[in-house]
Amino acid sequence: MSSPAPTPVYTLRGAGGPLNTLHFSCHDADTPLLYSGSGKGLIHVWNLNTRRAKKIVKGHSGNSIIWVSTLQSTDALISQGRDMLVCLWDLSEGRSEMVDSVWTGSVGFCQCSMLEMSPGNHLLAFPGEQTEEIKIIQLPSKTPVCTLVPDAKVGMVMCMKLWQPDSGLGPLLVAGYEDGSLLLWDVTQRSVLSQAKAHPEPVMCLTFDLKRLRGISGSSEKNLSSWVLDGQNNLQLQDNVTLVNPGISQLCIRGDGKLLASAGWDHRVRVFGWKRLKPLAVLQYHTDMVQSVAFSDHQDPRQRLLAAGSKDQRISLWSIYNEGAETG
Amino acid sequence: MSPAVMPPTMTQISDPKIAFAYLRPACVLLTQQPTVANVETLSTQLKEVNDATLQQLQDYVLFPLRFVLKVPGPKKEKLVQTVAETISYVLENTCVQNWDTLHDLFSELCLCLCSPTDPGKPADLSEELQSAVLRCLETLLHAAYGDIVFRLFEPVMLPGLGAAVSLLLALAQKSKSREIQVSALKCIQSLALQCDCKQDHIVPSSEERRVVGSFMASFLPGITVAVTKIITGDLRQGHTVTVRAIKVWSTTVGLVMEDAQLQAPEPQKTHPSGLGRIAQLVVHRTQEWAKSTAGKLCVLLKKIIACTSAHQHWRVRLEMVELGDHLLDRCSQSLKECVGPLLEALVGAVNDEEPRVRERCEVALSAVSQRNQSDDKSSRAQTFTDVLSENLHSMATSLPRLMRTSDDQKKLFILKVFLGYLKLLGPLVSMVLNSATHLDRISKALMQVLELDVMDVRIVEERTYTATMETTAGSHDSYTAHRQRKHFLYFTDEKIFSVLMEICQTLGYYGNLYLLTDHFLDLYQQSSSYRKQAAMVLSEIVRGAAGIGVVTQGQGLESQVQGHPTTPEDLREAVVLVMEEFTSLKNWHLITVSEDTDRDRQDQQLLSPPRLLSISSTDVSNTNTNCLQVISSSFNSPSTSAPSSTIHQLNSNIWQLCIQLEGIACFAQALGRDFRSLLMTSLYPVLEKAGEETLLVSQAALGSMWDISKACGYSSLKELINENSDYLLNDISLNLQRLSQHPQAPRVLTVMLTHSDCSLLPLVGDIIQDVLMALDLSYDQTAALFCSVLHALMKALARWFPSNRSKTRESARTKQSSSREEILDIRQFMLDYNKQKELAEGIGIEEDVTIEDLEVPPPTECEDIDDTVSPDVKPELPLHLSITKDVMERCIHLLSDPSLRVRLKVLDVLELCVSVLSEKENELLPMAHRCWPPFLQRLIADDPLAVLRAFRVLCTLGETCGDFLRMRVSKEVLPKLSSSLVRQAPISAKAGPVYSHTLAYKLQLAVLQGLGSLCQRLDLGEGDLNVVGEACLPYLSCRQPIRLQEASLSVFRHLIQVDPDTFWFTLNELHCPSSYTPPHPDLQPVRLSGMGRPRDEFSGNVLKLLQEEFGSVSETINQPGS
Repeated sequence: MSSPAPTPVYTLRGAGGPLNTLHFSCHDADTPLLYSGSGKGLIHVWNLNTRRAKKIVKGHSGNSIIWVSTLQSTDALISQGRDMLVCLWDLSEGRSEMVDSVWTGSVGFCQCSMLEMSPGNHLLAFPGEQTEEIKIIQLPSKTPVCTLVPDAKVGMVMCMKLWQPDSGLGPLLVAGYEDGSLLLWDVTQRSVLSQAKAHPEPVMCLTFDLKRLRGISGSSEKNLSSWVLDGQNNLQLQDNVTLVNPGISQLCIRGDGKLLASAGWDHRVRVFGWKRLKPLAVLQYHTDMVQSVAFSDHQDPRQRLLAAGSKDQRISLWSIYNEGAETG
Repeated sequence: MSPAVMPPTMTQISDPKIAFAYLRPACVLLTQQPTVANVETLSTQLKEVNDATLQQLQDYVLFPLRFVLKVPGPKKEKLVQTVAETISYVLENTCVQNWDTLHDLFSELCLCLCSPTDPGKPADLSEELQSAVLRCLETLLHAAYGDIVFRLFEPVMLPGLGAAVSLLLALAQKSKSREIQVSALKCIQSLALQCDCKQDHIVPSSEERRVVGSFMASFLPGITVAVTKIITGDLRQGHTVTVRAIKVWSTTVGLVMEDAQLQAPEPQKTHPSGLGRIAQLVVHRTQEWAKSTAGKLCVLLKKIIACTSAHQHWRVRLEMVELGDHLLDRCSQSLKECVGPLLEALVGAVNDEEPRVRERCEVALSAVSQRNQSDDKSSRAQTFTDVLSENLHSMATSLPRLMRTSDDQKKLFILKVFLGYLKLLGPLVSMVLNSATHLDRISKALMQVLELDVMDVRIVEERTYTATMETTAGSHDSYTAHRQRKHFLYFTDEKIFSVLMEICQTLGYYGNLYLLTDHFLDLYQQSSSYRKQAAMVLSEIVRGAAGIGVVTQGQGLESQVQGHPTTPEDLREAVVLVMEEFTSLKNWHLITVSEDTDRDRQDQQLLSPPRLLSISSTDVSNTNTNCLQVISSSFNSPSTSAPSSTIHQLNSNIWQLCIQLEGIACFAQALGRDFRSLLMTSLYPVLEKAGEETLLVSQAALGSMWDISKACGYSSLKELINENSDYLLNDISLNLQRLSQHPQAPRVLTVMLTHSDCSLLPLVGDIIQDVLMALDLSYDQTAALFCSVLHALMKALARWFPSNRSKTRESARTKQSSSREEILDIRQFMLDYNKQKELAEGIGIEEDVTIEDLEVPPPTECEDIDDTVSPDVKPELPLHLSITKDVMERCIHLLSDPSLRVRLKVLDVLELCVSVLSEKENELLPMAHRCWPPFLQRLIADDPLAVLRAFRVLCTLGETCGDFLRMRVSKEVLPKLSSSLVRQAPISAKAGPVYSHTLAYKLQLAVLQGLGSLCQRLDLGEGDLNVVGEACLPYLSCRQPIRLQEASLSVFRHLIQVDPDTFWFTLNELHCPSSYTPPHPDLQPVRLSGMGRPRDEFSGNVLKLLQEEFGSVSETINQPGS
């Protein structure tokens, strides 16, 4: 497609620091929200209708925030900062109180992963004090579930994704490590089910599509590596996509499993068709590293947005490939 | 009709016997000798008798008076007049109880008025007499007792009364005196027992009314026709006559055609036989009669309405309303045909400019609708609304034609009537509008009448210059005052415009907003010839829908239909819809400047790179379809639109933009604070236009900004911009990346900077980086555009961060100069001189250090702190300084831009940069150093304009980094300039008048004009000053062109400020007007080479300088010699 370069529909500015993480919450059609975590310890809650920050939460005593999310059932906000804490916030009715916190002891950049087991009951996976260990606890009870430490030497844990497979097994977790390998963990057995060396460099990010049982990971080099889980829960490497410039901060698959977006160190967001990893568009707006991408979870697919947060302190919002959403 | 002034009652005679005895001699005398004197005697005596007694003596007293009238033969007019007056007096104070008296007096008085040959024609009498008799007649009718007065209306009386009526009508029509006209008309009114004066009147029973009505029916044609003639007659006749005539018309018709009388069958009275021919005169008010009479009356009524509804005098219009009310009340059944015209007349008066008329009319109309509602027959109310909507429809049908053909006065009336119907129909309007033909007619009419006259050439030519932009921080009033009046093709009266707007508002208020916006948006899109009008109408409709400008009146038929249908959500939706259309690419980016100037061609180049369509655009399909139109209509690619964009077209575009801008302001007013959420999309386009070059557009945009900020609850433009800067900056930043499509983005930034304050800076910071980056990407194409942004930016920075440095220097300078102006004390001077000399030799240095150091400004403390905290790391610069540095960096490149305009602009920017950066010398100096090479070229080898501008920059630079510059200037600048000046001097001295058009002349002039202040600002050394002085001396010659002389004079003025003594000497060397004798014989005599020289070419200017700068020549004696 030789269409000209798209432009953002809007840019949110005023975050006052590099943006590390983004999280949409658009179930409420009246006030779709976007949460952003900045390098200066601020969590902005953006109202996407007025396109202004509805609320700014100061937390983690000014330390960089590397991950934010919301607990779907309770609408509580959860954030992970570089002060080695994961905090739970109550934002309802205009409050912004920290209600609970967990000490992780991790000094790395690995983001947490959360899984809702049942309404009000979550599993949270976070990097532990030892650089290669992953801890899993239950929320809100904070009961430790397990600690996953690989036997092989794979280095620091870089990224992970926790999910509940349809096959009826216990929750699975795939994690990327410093030496470029991916490990598939069975959380209940606390055992490694499968291992694959996806990258020569550390795995910077990964994402996983539950429907297709297919994931993709990015690294500090030029390649994106995709892989599938076969029936025996074996990780099998598939296609590679080679990019022009090295370095991927984050990957995100759209809710309908059609698009994949990558946040590049080259200031660009790239959009691929998820099925065949066909490059579709390069979104160029930012003037510094893009550190986070996220697709919105709007009910109406036509309203869906792509957000990119960059080190240049801006968030760009894009409305792309929404037209034929229904027809396919 | 006030009764005559009574004498005090206590002296009146109350005994009838005494009264009789008292009056008798006078009566007898009068009978014998009918003279004026005798009548007057009786008249005075009568006043001493009280009313009750007079009543008893009435017949006796009246007898001699009547006798005078009855005596055959010609009488003196004066006598008759006095008699009539006396009779009037008697009748005023008594009652007529006797039918014979009434009858006889009536005929006798009529006889006095009519000509002897024809009882129906007035005789040629004096006006006083006529007036007296008319008054007497009226008094008689008032004095008549209720039981006898009705005998007047027996059929037998028909001929007599007929004659009287025609006599009165003739008087009313023909008399030249207004008073008589009015009295005659009043008499007719009284005759029909319809008098409306303040006295007591007989209240006829319904049966009696019927008798009178039936009787008067015979005279109805005569009265109505004649009175109509009076009403529609001479416009110059006083309004009292017209008012009275209307009253007669309305009461007579109201009496004869009364529904109550006509509906009940006329009782067939058996008239006494023997009436004979008189019976033929009797009118039987049958159904057929009523019908045909109504038809005729309708014709007359239309004439009357046409003549009076737009009458100059409000009382006439008020009376017309009364008439309408009266007849609609009494005769709405019998005069069915007239209901339409009557309503129209009433409706037309609803919007009368006179409040009394308006109020009366509202009462009347509410009575009308009340009657219709209270009537339990709903069919009748139906007919009323039917009549209204039918009228509305027929009006709508004829509206376009009438708008084309009629004059302003008529148009105004028609439109007022139209508005009246709309208001009267109230919510029913939406039903009427549901008919496509109605809506179509109405809209066509509006489109037609609102057509603008766009031929004014000035509109295109007026430009906003940055100079005017600066002052725009002014108040709101200045904008509203500036708002250009619209000129319409088909009318000039401002009132018509306001009525039209009110019509639109009323439509919006009562109509279905969706339907209306849809319809007018269709029109807007359909044809460019309707676009402006449709935009105007749309804005007002939205305003109306919000209830602005609509006065809800009680008289509408609202109660029948549900209330106001427009909810805030609907309103918002409509506004969004309309505004989207207004600000869409093809309707917003219109050309307003002809492409002839090269500047615009440059902009054109900006536009020409491939037009990209983004896939992220909110409405892709729309953009695609519009693409072609856009290219041809708004992005004037030179090939297609060059011939088409005539001034006419440009004007039209300008007006369209203005109207749309005003429209956005209207929307803001309509939504109030809710508009805040729409600022996201609307503020940017408005600001875009505020930065437009065309004066009219930018003013309209500023006006809109004010309106918006008021509507949204912001106290100022600054607040509006600051609070919404995130929205604006978002669009700017996005559009900067697509400059080819959005060349206006820098302009918006300019407007923001102009109207905001330094709190904006942190937000703007990264946008400025975007701007600079965009500039870096394409120097050749965008330089011109960005220069204005940079200029605005630097101007804003200079305003927000006034440098204290330049201020202190300024004050120091004034102090210096003021001290010098003090009269020089020679003794003090010598002492100082001596001290200096000692100092130079090294004596007493220690004690004097303090004095010297006072002049040196202490180093700013912050610098010290910076130094101590981090001696190695450079402290982070304040944002505004780092921005300034970045801008200055760009100036280095742009200084040698091929376009003169750009170079000039850059020099301005540079000057501002220098003054902002002056607070940090160690930042400024390196930058100045880097700027120097290209800057030097501007100074010594450029267009005169640039040279002059460069001089100014140099002066500013000199203020802040004098030392740095002094060397360079004296080494690199001065030699070149002075040598060229010296070289050129003989040429220009000999040149003819054409020389002033040459480049060389302009350069000379520029250099001379700049040199003086430069020398002063830079504190140049003595040597340099001398060089300058020498170079400029030749230009003091009177052979030089006059402007060069002036410029050279200015150089010397500056030089004298710096070093008065040297140049006093220099000048005196050239020409010394006076000799100086030393004050003391011990002193050497002064010898100057200019002394005693004959006047030459230089003397004039030298003398002038000496005179101006050193006061009178004689005072210069006190000047020191060297």
